[in-house]
This record gives sequence, C-alpha cells and structure tokens, in this order.
Amino acid sequence: MELLEPTREAFRLLFTGDAELWRIIFISLNCSLAALLLIGPPSVALGFLIAKVAFPGRRALVVLVQALLSFPTVVIGLVIYMLLSRQGPLGFLKLLFTPEAIIVGYMVIAFPVLVVFTLSAVQGADPRVYETARSLGANRWRAALTTLFEVRFGVMAAVFNGFGRVVSEVGCAIMVGGNIDGLTRNIPTAIALETSKGEFAQGIALGFVLIVLALGVNIALSVLQGEGGMK
Amino acid sequence: MRAPALEIKSLTKSFPQRELLRGVDLALAAGGSYVLTGDNGCGKTTLLRIVAGLETANGGMLRFRSATIDLGHYPEALRREVVYVHQQPYLFNTTIAHNIAYGLKMRGVPKRRRELLVEEAIVWAGVGHLGSVLPHKLSGGEKQRVALARAKVLNPGLLLLDEPTANLDNDARRQTLALIEALRHEDVTVMIASHDREIIAMPHVERLHLEAGHVRAL
Repeated sequence: MELLEPTREAFRLLFTGDAELWRIIFISLNCSLAALLLIGPPSVALGFLIAKVAFPGRRALVVLVQALLSFPTVVIGLVIYMLLSRQGPLGFLKLLFTPEAIIVGYMVIAFPVLVVFTLSAVQGADPRVYETARSLGANRWRAALTTLFEVRFGVMAAVFNGFGRVVSEVGCAIMVGGNIDGLTRNIPTAIALETSKGEFAQGIALGFVLIVLALGVNIALSVLQGEGGMK
Repeated sequence: MRAPALEIKSLTKSFPQRELLRGVDLALAAGGSYVLTGDNGCGKTTLLRIVAGLETANGGMLRFRSATIDLGHYPEALRREVVYVHQQPYLFNTTIAHNIAYGLKMRGVPKRRRELLVEEAIVWAGVGHLGSVLPHKLSGGEKQRVALARAKVLNPGLLLLDEPTANLDNDARRQTLALIEALRHEDVTVMIASHDREIIAMPHVERLHLEAGHVRAL
C-alpha cells in the first residue's frame, strides 16, 4: 500500500483548512465537550457520595458502575438507539441521528469513567482533609468541595480520561448519530467510513488529530498537576 | 473563677470491643489552659474529637457557654467556636497564606481583613520565611506551626490540640512549645492532649488525667 501520498494529502487537508475536515473535528469536539460538561458535575458528585457516605446498596452500586466501564460502546449505542427510535419510549423526542443523540451516548459512556475515577481519588484522599475543613468551620458542602479540590488531580484525570474515551468512540456514535455528513459525522466515524472506501488521506489526517488530542490532553494534565501532583 | 466555657457531664463512648469513656465529667473555665494526660489508647483523642464534633458520643451532656449541645446533631455554629488540631495536622495543598485564611473565609471575613489577620498569624507563628512553599515540602514542626496559626487566627472559643509536640525534633518541639506558651496571652480556652513533660509542667496549665474512662484533676 502506498502510504506516502495519502499522508502528504492528509497534512495538506489539515494545514490548508479543509472545511469538511475541520467541520468533522468541530462536531467531535462539540459533542465530546458538551457531554462532559453535562455529565461531569453529577458524576463527580456521585463518585464523592459513594466514597464518603455509607448507604444500603453502596457496594452493589460500585459493582454496577464498574461493570458499566467494560460495557461495549456499541451495546450502549444499541440501547440508546432502541430508546430513541420512532417506536421507542423516547421516540417522541426525535433525537435519533442528531448530535444530541451522540451527546446522550457520550454521557452514558463517560459516566462510569468519571464516577469510578472520582470515587478512587476521594477514597485515596487523606481522611484528615474533610475533618480539618469541618473543624475550621466549613459546612458539609464546603468540606466536600475542599476534599475534591485536594484530589483535584485525580478528578482532572477522571475528566481527561472521560474525554479520551468519548472522543475516540465509534460504535455508539455511528448507531445513534448515523454518520451524517456535516451533522453527526465525527472523527472516529469519518475515519471508519473513509478507510472502508479506500480513501486514506482524510483518515490519516483525522487519526493524526486524534493522536494530537490524546497527547495534548495528557500534556495538559501533566502541566496542570505540576509540582503539586507529585508528592 | 471565670464561668465555664465547656462543661461535660457523664459522657460515654463505646466501641464494639471496648468501653472507652465511662462517664466523663469535666468543666473548662473560659480562657483557661488545660493539659489532658493518660496512657496511649485511653481515649484522649476520642474525647477531643467528640468535643470538636468529629465523633459522636453514646451518651452524656455537653454544654458550651451555657448552651446545651445535642450530641446527635452537633451544631454548625459550634464548629466556628471549637477548633481541633490533629496530632499530625493536615495542610491543604496550597500556600501557607491560603491555609491560614481558610477558616476566616468560611466565616465570611472580608478579604482585606482576612489578609491582615493572615499576615499577623504568619508573623505570630514565625513562618513568614516559608513564603509560597507548598505544604508537602514543610517539616513536621513547620506544619504544626502553620496549623497552630490557622487555628489561632480564628480566635476560637475552645482550641483542642492533640499531641502537638509528638514526633517533633528538639528544635521544632521548642518552637511549638513557645507558640503554645504564647496562646496563654490570647483569650482562648485551650485543651491539650499530651504526654510532653514540658507542657504538663507549664505553670499556667491545669492538669487533667484520663484513666479507666474517667477524667480527674491532678
């Protein structure tokens, strides 16, 4: 297979601002970030609650959330498809094959990542953090926020991992988004489509963007952690 | 004698294997300094933590400035009066100034006033030279001094110090003792759980001993 020419073409597409390519990148980032923004706060709060508050069924909930981590995203896509399809219980929302459907799918996919990472970070926090905050006059809410701030690098890792999982996800996005050009075609679905057509240039360009995003996210995490993350 | 800041009556605390506090009676005069001695594991820390609202008692009565405290529902307002400092204090992973400002912020002290008080507390604790050093780079003694400054700046009604000089080297211990000594000039009631002979021997400190689940004056 000749790789040099498609790669050269890929970089040409990237650096000449090819509108179609950049639209695909925008759709990917838009859906991923919107999903994280919507599911992030409740997932982090749930992770904190599971770590800090004893309640009946806590163990079962942890097992369930951990199990969700290993759920194939295509199965998640299938379930959401059935829910959103015209005959499905949520069909009246008319969300199927829209960016909003992808966002819903991404929220479901990111949810266990965010919960489990936050849970793990809070469980690993020194118990004196919460007690010190309380003893210095913080109410429960402020003490919880202080604890989350103290484990902020773990929470950031949760968010970045969630982003990494959804931005590179293909199965669910194809099923509920339909890979519609200009509307729901994102980086991974476009790579899958272009490669199946034997068009490697756009696939390579988009693959390069994914790799840059993955590296960028990890570098950003490392920079944000700085010295404070290394004890 | 001044009116009691804290009164404890018949306080009990049990753990599944053990009855730790079997009816503690205690009265701390406002502005007084007290040292609580007792063998390791006799319940000194537990008693301090119950008074600070970090643990619940099984029974008994607690009164702070004549107000009876519901031991099942420790009042939020009391958390602003009673400050507990761990044996190994935890400093938040931020600057020393932010650490000391934390409690003031929780009390809604305006920024300008907060900055002034933090500056005074830093000078009081002699930690000004530490500047923007992050807590994990401080020695045990420096952490203890910052924690004392963070507690003292709140001007609490009752300050509870748990083994403040334990595990410190001689220099750090001496500096911490000097701060504890300096606390007598502040209008704050202090109870210190300690084995440290120098704290026990401080002339202005009243000695209490916890043994077999009861507290008695020495």
